[in-house]
Amino acid sequence: MTRRISKTKQFIMMNPIIQFFKFIYLSLKVLVIVAGGHGGTR
Amino acid sequence: MSKIVILGAGISGHVAASHLRRKLAKEHQVVVVSPNSSYQWIPSNIWVGIGRMQPEQTKFPLKPLYKKKGIEFKQAKVTTFHPEGDAETEAPFVTIEYVAEKAGQTEKVTYDYLINATGPKLNFEATEGLKPGTNGVYSVCTYSHADHSWKALEQAIAKMKKGVKQKIVIGTGHAKATCQGAAFEYILNVEQELRRHKVRDMAEITWLSNEYQLGDFGMDGMLLSYGSNILKSAEMVEMIFEDRGIKWILGAGVTKIEAGLAHYENLDGEYKTEPFDFAMLIPSFSGHGFKAYDKKGVDITDKLFKGFMLVDADYTPKPYEEWKVQDWPETYQNPHYENIFAPGIAFAPPHGISKPRKSKNGTDITPAPPRTGMPSGITAKLVADNLIDKIKGKHKTLHHKGSMGNMGAACIASAGFGITKGSGVSITTYPIVPDFEKYPDSHGRKLGQTFGDIGLAGHWLKLALHYAFLYKAKMKPFWWLIPE
Repeated sequence: MTRRISKTKQFIMMNPIIQFFKFIYLSLKVLVIVAGGHGGTR
Repeated sequence: MSKIVILGAGISGHVAASHLRRKLAKEHQVVVVSPNSSYQWIPSNIWVGIGRMQPEQTKFPLKPLYKKKGIEFKQAKVTTFHPEGDAETEAPFVTIEYVAEKAGQTEKVTYDYLINATGPKLNFEATEGLKPGTNGVYSVCTYSHADHSWKALEQAIAKMKKGVKQKIVIGTGHAKATCQGAAFEYILNVEQELRRHKVRDMAEITWLSNEYQLGDFGMDGMLLSYGSNILKSAEMVEMIFEDRGIKWILGAGVTKIEAGLAHYENLDGEYKTEPFDFAMLIPSFSGHGFKAYDKKGVDITDKLFKGFMLVDADYTPKPYEEWKVQDWPETYQNPHYENIFAPGIAFAPPHGISKPRKSKNGTDITPAPPRTGMPSGITAKLVADNLIDKIKGKHKTLHHKGSMGNMGAACIASAGFGITKGSGVSITTYPIVPDFEKYPDSHGRKLGQTFGDIGLAGHWLKLALHYAFLYKAKMKPFWWLIPE
């Protein structure tokens, strides 16, 4: 096992308060990509 | 009055049926033919496979819902296609064979429009010894497979608790398998569960995959935004695997499974074996081998199928360097029969997405293109919308288009279950099929819309999607507001 994710980064990844805001951000970002639509290419 | 027959009740078939029923008047008939009695939310099978979710939480029976909504349901499997009818029947039809209650009975089901959403055949037979539950190898492709997988994993955990070391192998079970994303989720979930059971040090976990690089996922890898950095998906996955002590073997085309032993050929042309105590390997996907006949009974399977169903793609064979997004279908309409469509996984892709590679012995070892839940839902909805417009007389041509070369997808990969201890790897990609002409400097994808993130929020998001999509599938109030 090689540590590749620092303890600080690990803390941010698992902190429920920080991650709550990240959850809102990710939900909106995914929604934008999905609702952003789709179409043809020809 | 129009009659629309939908083959399959997975994500694609169910999305098409629900939108058609909602938007078409009751005089039009919507018929669903599926051998499965339940709808299942496949992405949550990962959690069934680690014992953190029961199969019942991922599925619900279709018959009562369809009865309530006015959708005719036939629990049967399709056997043959007759797009011109036959000597006795003027209208086009499919023959079906009932399962369950009316097992063995057959019927001709005529249609005005046919939506083939039969998905893939899980081709375990393509790899000798890969059948789930035999030789210590399992699958998470269905809820019953996943449940079976958990029972075996539970036994392995019990052995570890008694001090017996275990070797776990997870990945792909064929040189041309796809769905690496599911295996990726499963390996991370298994790793976290072993930590939760305090037996992580008793297990050696190995990723065995047909990918050339980590993070290929059958999509040729990605260049993605990660925080303020731009990195390759290979680097991101490598970082996660190293951090979690997961080893990897790449470019491996599994050829045969024996009890506790995976035989594979690698891109260097070497024939190797990997021992295991517990393995979960995704099989290759294939078409169902359907046959089609014209009015005179002549075999016209080639007009409808090339493994999967032929649609409006460019199937001209060409080298990787000449692949274009324009090769990919936009309307999912069969080129020979304009009333037949194949959204989701049922359509034949024009070619792969990942760069094709051969071993030194000439064996193709390349991931097949994935078609996950999001594009399956989107393509099914656009097919339904085109039919609705056509039936209502709004548009004569197919107005709604959705190429995977002009469509985004979100892959919220679970990396461990738990409200406070869980984790997820959120990856979004736009477009799914890289457009090297439009985005030449970012490996064919739009940075910003192609991004990655790791953390607890990813787990919450995957869990939220589980509940949201089951709510939507159950067609509860305002279900249509939830996008595909």
